[in-house]
Amino acid sequence: MELGTYAENTWCPGCGNFGIMNAVTRAVKILSERGVGADRLMMSAGIGCHGKIFDYLRISGFYSIHGRSIATVEGMKVANPDLKVMTFVGDGDAYGEGLAHVLFAAKRNADITVVVHDNKVYGLTTGQFTPTSKKGFKGGSTPEGSVEDPLNPLAVILETGATFVARSYSGKIAHLADMVVKAVEHEGFSLVEVLQPCVTYNDTYRLYNEQVKILEETPDTLEKAISTARIQNPLYIGVFYQVEKPVYHKELYGGGNPVRDSLRREERINRMRNLLPI
Amino acid sequence: MKKDEVFTYLVGGKAGEGVKKAGTVAMNMFSRMGRAAFEMDDYPSLIRGGHNFTVVSTAADVITSHYMKADLLVLHDERSYAEHQSQVKPEGIVVYNSDEVGEDVRGIGIPMTTEARKYPPNTMLRMGVGSVTVLAAAIGVSLDQLEDIIRMEYPREVEKNIDYARAVYELIPSEVMGKLHLERGEHTSSVLTGNQAAALGAYSAGLDIYFAYPMTPSTSILHFLAGHTKDLQVVAIHPENEIAVANMAVGAAFAGAKTMVGSSGGGLALMEETYSLAGMTEAPVVFVLSSRSGPSTGVPTYTEQGDLHFALNQGHGEFPRIVAAPGSVEETYYVAAELLMLVWKFQTPGTLVLDKHLSESSHTVTIDPERAAWADFSSHGSGEYKRYTITDDGISPLLFPPSSEVIKWNSYEHDELGITTDKAERIAAMHDKRKKKLETLTAYMKTITTVNVYNPGYPVIMTYGSTTMSVLEALRAGDIDATVVQPVYLRPFPVWEFAGYDTALVIEQSSTGQFATLLKEKARVDSEVITKYDGRPFDPQELASRIKEVV
Ligand SMILES: Cc1ncc(C[n+]2csc(CCOP(=O)(O)OP(=O)(O)O)c2C)c(N)n1
Ligand code: SF4
Ligand SMILES: [Mg+2]
Repeated sequence: MELGTYAENTWCPGCGNFGIMNAVTRAVKILSERGVGADRLMMSAGIGCHGKIFDYLRISGFYSIHGRSIATVEGMKVANPDLKVMTFVGDGDAYGEGLAHVLFAAKRNADITVVVHDNKVYGLTTGQFTPTSKKGFKGGSTPEGSVEDPLNPLAVILETGATFVARSYSGKIAHLADMVVKAVEHEGFSLVEVLQPCVTYNDTYRLYNEQVKILEETPDTLEKAISTARIQNPLYIGVFYQVEKPVYHKELYGGGNPVRDSLRREERINRMRNLLPI
Repeated sequence: MKKDEVFTYLVGGKAGEGVKKAGTVAMNMFSRMGRAAFEMDDYPSLIRGGHNFTVVSTAADVITSHYMKADLLVLHDERSYAEHQSQVKPEGIVVYNSDEVGEDVRGIGIPMTTEARKYPPNTMLRMGVGSVTVLAAAIGVSLDQLEDIIRMEYPREVEKNIDYARAVYELIPSEVMGKLHLERGEHTSSVLTGNQAAALGAYSAGLDIYFAYPMTPSTSILHFLAGHTKDLQVVAIHPENEIAVANMAVGAAFAGAKTMVGSSGGGLALMEETYSLAGMTEAPVVFVLSSRSGPSTGVPTYTEQGDLHFALNQGHGEFPRIVAAPGSVEETYYVAAELLMLVWKFQTPGTLVLDKHLSESSHTVTIDPERAAWADFSSHGSGEYKRYTITDDGISPLLFPPSSEVIKWNSYEHDELGITTDKAERIAAMHDKRKKKLETLTAYMKTITTVNVYNPGYPVIMTYGSTTMSVLEALRAGDIDATVVQPVYLRPFPVWEFAGYDTALVIEQSSTGQFATLLKEKARVDSEVITKYDGRPFDPQELASRIKEVV
């Protein structure tokens, strides 16, 4: 399975996005061997450096607009639940512009996989602070340093009802590939937060290489998962939480499939006749 | 009453007193009598109290608007009495609730509240049953027939409703009984609101999923479809906000679902970025814009055509847009279907422009689903697939997952496969492709009805959307001979249908005359303009006098 495209790669040399793409490529191959074929594995992407992964992978899908790609895949999934959908989002994209969609997708347990390229900076717009940047971050819009405290996205998302939450690191490709496979295979909302250094605007390689630590066991309660997500040092990577819960589209319309079962014209006419005195 | 005469029934009261329901019941009664009827509800944006009224006008043959002068008024409280008693026609009857309206007033007092209190607990809602009883008595419906009507229309606490109706019936003075006797008409019709017609039209054309966030006056599309998910087999989804609404719809279209979204101006404004996304990715989605009096939050439950320019220019950038503005409830059904067909045929977003008056008023209509359009599309055969293949007509065939081919839709400018590009020649080529699609679309529009012309002749009145209903009724009310030219499609604007017109009287519900401006710009039509922008639809008689002043 060749997943590359002819698109010219324009990520900065050394960017953490390369690690993410390698891991996703691996995950897609593993998934294919396990029965989630490329024909029904869809992707979408937000707008930012992270989004370019859309052009670099031969995977069907939708290059969305800034902040909205989670809603895009929710639409795909609810239209045809036979599809498996993953969306690649940025920290500015999903925690700033589009935060509502993350929270509500988690809340309704939409059966989608969200991979967050969290470089704690707006890469593509040249280095401004994002919701996850540490206080004091200096960028074009905060030359004296950001005055806001960062958001802890995993704690918030866990609280919102997410049924699968994991963290990984772009520098640990095998681990990240494993997290993506688990997330896609999870039935329900899954989110993989990826610690991603941006060599140009927020080079965190040293920090992560020092602080990242494998989480040996998945916490068995939501409370423990949230406390683990609150720990800043070490930065645990692994599955923080996983639980089974009914998924959105099945709660909504049961076992049907709107696209596959779409009624033909004659049947619609019949149903109109039953409804109206025609 | 004479056969061709218009009969108008008005009920006024507090929110929660079943005023609107009384209007609906009246519509159903007239429809079953084979008559044409039109209902307009006037209500403030609140749930209890305030002042609501419903006006139902009926004629044996044709009617396209309510009238503000009424033959029979039933007024539940002091405020309704004060506001409406002067609307009674010379031979008309005012019935009021004597428990709430003071003594020594004109009309017939009935202690509606005292009677209602005998049938607890839903005494407030009982008031509407009383108003229907008065109507039945006045138009000559027998007590037995009324009982059948109540059984059908008020099934909750039905026995109490019937007992209450009997009690009220007994209290109605004999001079009212049958005084406003109505002839039967010869039509078989359904009673629909514009919003129901839009929902059913899209459904008939293939709608699979409707996405919306509640906003008056579009909300009843969502309620209607959500209430019919099982019998129609359709999905209705209410997400976190309008931005999610629009993006989910586009994502669902990628997966092959026929989707529609709806809101009022504020919600459409939130969807605009995605409207443009639909233009770029060539995603077929119908956006329903049901306007209220604006700008901003405006007056949520009142009508206006103030969003015309906004509707015409949804989304940034250059791409084909289709904007349709049906001029009646019946037309809304067919045009909603046709618009879904068009957006799929041309893979571009379309806007269905309605307003409070069209969305929420009810009309007796004849719907033939066999005549509704069906949303078909150009689909990829076999072999290598490229989402944005450049073709002679600008339309690239569609392919939906699951598929072994790679299907990429892209918000960035893209090449034929759907990969992002900034190459000069590719940018221009994709612009040319979308422009070609617009040309193909425009050529196609020449083969379908884009403009309605009523009573060819002179003078020429131009109008559009819900105001068409008011204008046509005004011509009947004022016995005025005039041609009415009503474009159903506003973008691409059907200039080819406007060749013979230089001047016109333009009638629209906006303060600045946006429609007149459009006609000047697109069709070089000079106009005098009659406008109304107080949130209320035109009254046909008032409009007839204003037309007579001009022509
Ligand atoms: C509505 C909208 N606002 C702003 C932008 C400009 N914009 C493009 S990328 C971006 C920030 C990207 O940051 P992030 O999501 O963290 O992605 P990264 O580049 O870091 O991968 C912004 C603000 C846009 N494309 N759309
Ligand atoms: S700016 Fe940062 S995130 Fe963007 S490509 Fe360069 S290193 Fe990667
Ligand atoms: Mg970022």
